[in-house]
Amino acid sequence: MNTAAKKSLSLGMLVVGAVLMVAALILDFMGTKGAMRGYLLIAGALLIIVGLLKLPNKKHTKIVNGLFLFPMVFTFGVTVMIPFILGIIYSFTDWNGVSVTQFVGLENYITMFRQLDFVYSFILTLLFTIVNIVSVNIAGFCLALLCTSKIKGKNFFRAAYFLPNLIGGIVLGYVWQFIFNKVFTTVFVGSNSMLTDANLAILAILFVNTWQYAGYIMMIYVTGLQSVPSDVLEASNVDGASPLTTLFKIKIPMIANTFTVCIFLTLVNSFKLFDLNLSITNGAPSRVLGDKIIQSTEFLALNIYKTAIGKNDYALGQTKAVVFFVILAIVSLTQVSISKKKEVEL
Amino acid sequence: MKKKSLAVLLAGTMSAALFAGCGGSGASTSSSAGNSKSEAASESTGTTTTASKDAIRLVNGKIEIDEQLKAAAKKYQEETGQEVSIESLGGGVDISGQLKSYYAAGNMPDMFVIGGDGDYANWTGKCADLSDCAFVKDTDFGYTDDETGKVVGFPYAVEGYGITYNADILEKAGIDPTTLVNYDAYKAAFEKIDGMKEELGLSAVCSVAAESGQMYWSTGNHLFGYYLSGGLERDDNTYFDMALEGKVDTDRMSQYADFIGLLYQYSDQQTLISGTYDDQLALWAQGKAAFITEGNWIDPSLPDYNVSFNCGIAPLAFTKEDMTSVLADSPSWWCVYGESDKVDACKAFLDYLATTEEGQTCLVKDAGMISPYKSSTVEPESPLAVSLKTYVNEGKTSSWAWANMPEGIAQNAIGLVYESYAKGDIDKDQFVTMMQSSIADYVANK
Amino acid sequence: MKAQKNRRLMGTILGAVIALFVLSPFILVVINTAKTSEDIVISPIALPENWGQMITNLSNVINTSNFSYWTSFGSSLFITAVSLILLTVFSCMAAWVLSRHHREKWSNAIFMIFVAAMVIPFQVVMLPILTVFKGIGAFTGIKLLQSYKGIIFAYLGFGGSMSIFILHGFIKGIPYELEEAAWIDGCSPEGTFFRVIFPLLRPVQMTVLILNGLWIWNDYLLPSIMLGLNGKIKTLPIAVSSFVGSYVKQWDLILAAAFLAMIPIVLLFLLAQKQIIQGMVDGAIK
Repeated sequence: MNTAAKKSLSLGMLVVGAVLMVAALILDFMGTKGAMRGYLLIAGALLIIVGLLKLPNKKHTKIVNGLFLFPMVFTFGVTVMIPFILGIIYSFTDWNGVSVTQFVGLENYITMFRQLDFVYSFILTLLFTIVNIVSVNIAGFCLALLCTSKIKGKNFFRAAYFLPNLIGGIVLGYVWQFIFNKVFTTVFVGSNSMLTDANLAILAILFVNTWQYAGYIMMIYVTGLQSVPSDVLEASNVDGASPLTTLFKIKIPMIANTFTVCIFLTLVNSFKLFDLNLSITNGAPSRVLGDKIIQSTEFLALNIYKTAIGKNDYALGQTKAVVFFVILAIVSLTQVSISKKKEVEL
Repeated sequence: MKKKSLAVLLAGTMSAALFAGCGGSGASTSSSAGNSKSEAASESTGTTTTASKDAIRLVNGKIEIDEQLKAAAKKYQEETGQEVSIESLGGGVDISGQLKSYYAAGNMPDMFVIGGDGDYANWTGKCADLSDCAFVKDTDFGYTDDETGKVVGFPYAVEGYGITYNADILEKAGIDPTTLVNYDAYKAAFEKIDGMKEELGLSAVCSVAAESGQMYWSTGNHLFGYYLSGGLERDDNTYFDMALEGKVDTDRMSQYADFIGLLYQYSDQQTLISGTYDDQLALWAQGKAAFITEGNWIDPSLPDYNVSFNCGIAPLAFTKEDMTSVLADSPSWWCVYGESDKVDACKAFLDYLATTEEGQTCLVKDAGMISPYKSSTVEPESPLAVSLKTYVNEGKTSSWAWANMPEGIAQNAIGLVYESYAKGDIDKDQFVTMMQSSIADYVANK
Repeated sequence: MKAQKNRRLMGTILGAVIALFVLSPFILVVINTAKTSEDIVISPIALPENWGQMITNLSNVINTSNFSYWTSFGSSLFITAVSLILLTVFSCMAAWVLSRHHREKWSNAIFMIFVAAMVIPFQVVMLPILTVFKGIGAFTGIKLLQSYKGIIFAYLGFGGSMSIFILHGFIKGIPYELEEAAWIDGCSPEGTFFRVIFPLLRPVQMTVLILNGLWIWNDYLLPSIMLGLNGKIKTLPIAVSSFVGSYVKQWDLILAAAFLAMIPIVLLFLLAQKQIIQGMVDGAIK
């Protein structure tokens, strides 16, 4: 095929593609029914893409660059960026999921912090996050020490400890609900389920989260510990340092970076806790606070979900979600700045 | 040449990407993969997944009658050729939220369930007028649009609840169930049965479950309903209107709190605090408790427990004065979606259920419900339906005002108060004041 | 020497005890899947009398219309597989372009936006995304909600950030000379990418596949919004949760459902243990 023919073919494709797209857009604006017009649009776009690719052109490289970027940028823009910007705007309005009648300024933000259930969820989530970071990291680190020591069946243990992390929180949560409600009450005859006591229910979620997540954190610590050069360890052994001294004076300082990674990972994971919360307690049981009664295990993510989906308060739910995002953003910025500082020190 | 083949390859990837998952159109099927899958699975899944495009689709809110409805739909299809696909949503599912997401997604069913004014508010103006249907003249329970005065909701049953008793146990204990019409009578009966627990083989007198996560509908809706309308005429909305303004009648609530306290006191404590519906039902159905705070909807579950004893429903009579009526109403209605292209087919199906022997047999005999239709000759067979029918026949029923309380109030507010009271976190006086403040807060935030 | 041997034995025993403890929920699921609901009530920790009951329970669950296992398994598999394939191909393409131009401003800006968006939790966009998808549906007539195309589209958007981030770093390390050689041989840019670069990315593609695969397979929130809890299409987590969320808690069937939901991943883990652990650890460290 000679260049001229190729050129006219691809130009033809471009023209047909453009016609199809214009036709589809006209149909769209006229508001005709039927799914055809959407596919017309896609077909037109495809023809244009193929045409552009085959068109012998000096700017070919640039066209390829654009086409290569397009799928990710387009899906990302439609599903993340546009909704994100809309979401922030909605948080200042009386949006009801369908329409916006007026801007209300900061009213949603004020209402939100006046509601006891939100404030409670907020504080509960913060406290839970702190305790959970400690428990997951201690458990993970201890398991990592165990799995890097000279014991038999290391590989099996690692795999076993890692397994819970692979299964989704929803399914595991129901299994644990069964364990708390049926197994524990049978083993300890006559006892009520842990999940009916406000404090024990929180403890139960903490426990399950640690159980699920420690194996993952352990693997990261294992990687860190394995990167400690063996000659350093041998040298300390020769010098007669006890295992504890080696641990605190050599191992832990040398994997400080791993600690940062793990702590931030757990931080974000605990703060975003949702699946386990939904399937283990769904917010129950009740807790009496002064002259109010609230749901004692409703963490922030669940509170947002229930506000929007359960009570149909879209604007307030969206506002809570924006606050949720802001906190996560602050956490991430902190992490980035800490890692940067560390890099400079090294 | 090389360049060309690559371009084709790339275009191929791109188009595969863009067309991925775009097979069918409209609501019937979603993708080619979906099709092949549902073919493979058609044997093992319900009717909803294999419904054709011409089927009318009903979203049913009573999962208990799912099988019976599907059987009726099958029969209807055999007779008329019209396919009806039944989609039943379970008790843990937020039905109105689900319908809203269907609506948002342009996947609205042809018929759907509404639970009362709160639900209907979402669909005002979107429901077909059913006034010209044959069933309308045959019942007083149709749901009427307040503004237009037109019937828009099809009542498929009357349901009722109160304190459901095991008649055999009451007989052995020498208690006449018809005397259970006030607080003192219940107190005496509970005390008497409690004293005879061992010889009657009971583990507790009552089976109540007040855990807020899963039983809020029983406490926050049903039990609370007696505070709202127990003992009142059907159109008397005194306490309901007060509640909507965030107010509570302290004297009535105080009596009510006493009664709830009494119920709790004589309940199996583990079931009360952590039991689910099936724990509660199992305790009573196995004959280990004399009373249960449920209604005629447990009829279809009785054979699962091989129940052989007699049973009936008594009013939850918390007042000092006699209260002889039970709370009964059409629990929910089926509306026809006005923009559906199958409105007439839906109307025909509803008339079939209401006015034909086969339709009524399904609803009354098979599903154990009580017909709201005057001309229905199909008498209920299950014990609680028979018991409830006598109240309906004698006109001793009060309305389900609770069904029109603000959305989510039972789950997010009232149910929590019942749970705290059950766990002993609050006493009777706190129960009254927290009921007051929970309702006031919830109504104010709405 | 003997003390050391003792310590090693103690460590092994300790490891075994912990392993037993960590795995105990799975063991409980397996033994109770093989019991009738009455037997579960009597003792949930006793070993089952008749393992044949397991087949009965599993087939009950598979055949109940409230938990259509094969359909939801198929939906989950389809959504995960298609999302992963597209995500990997597209994000490799995008990461390659971005990484080869990383000294130019526009490339840097796009990359930074992708990276910054990794912080955005799904909760912030879950409500507005409904509006956007509804709008697209009304405008073009293409239904995105409650459809495979919509949820796959959403996974592409949400998985993009992290995938591009991981790939970007890796591609930077590939010497540019390789591409130049291909150029000189007369290869077009797209040819260079698919013939030279794409195969080189295999190890890091594995990481991307594993991280995204586990996330998509186990995800609950996004499908619950995009597909609805009782829509025509259900992923496995959605199917399990709507099966559990009914009035009557039939634990024998619920545990059988949980068992069936866990099996595919456990099998996969047994087959590709090393790659999965490695992939997840790499993803965290990068």
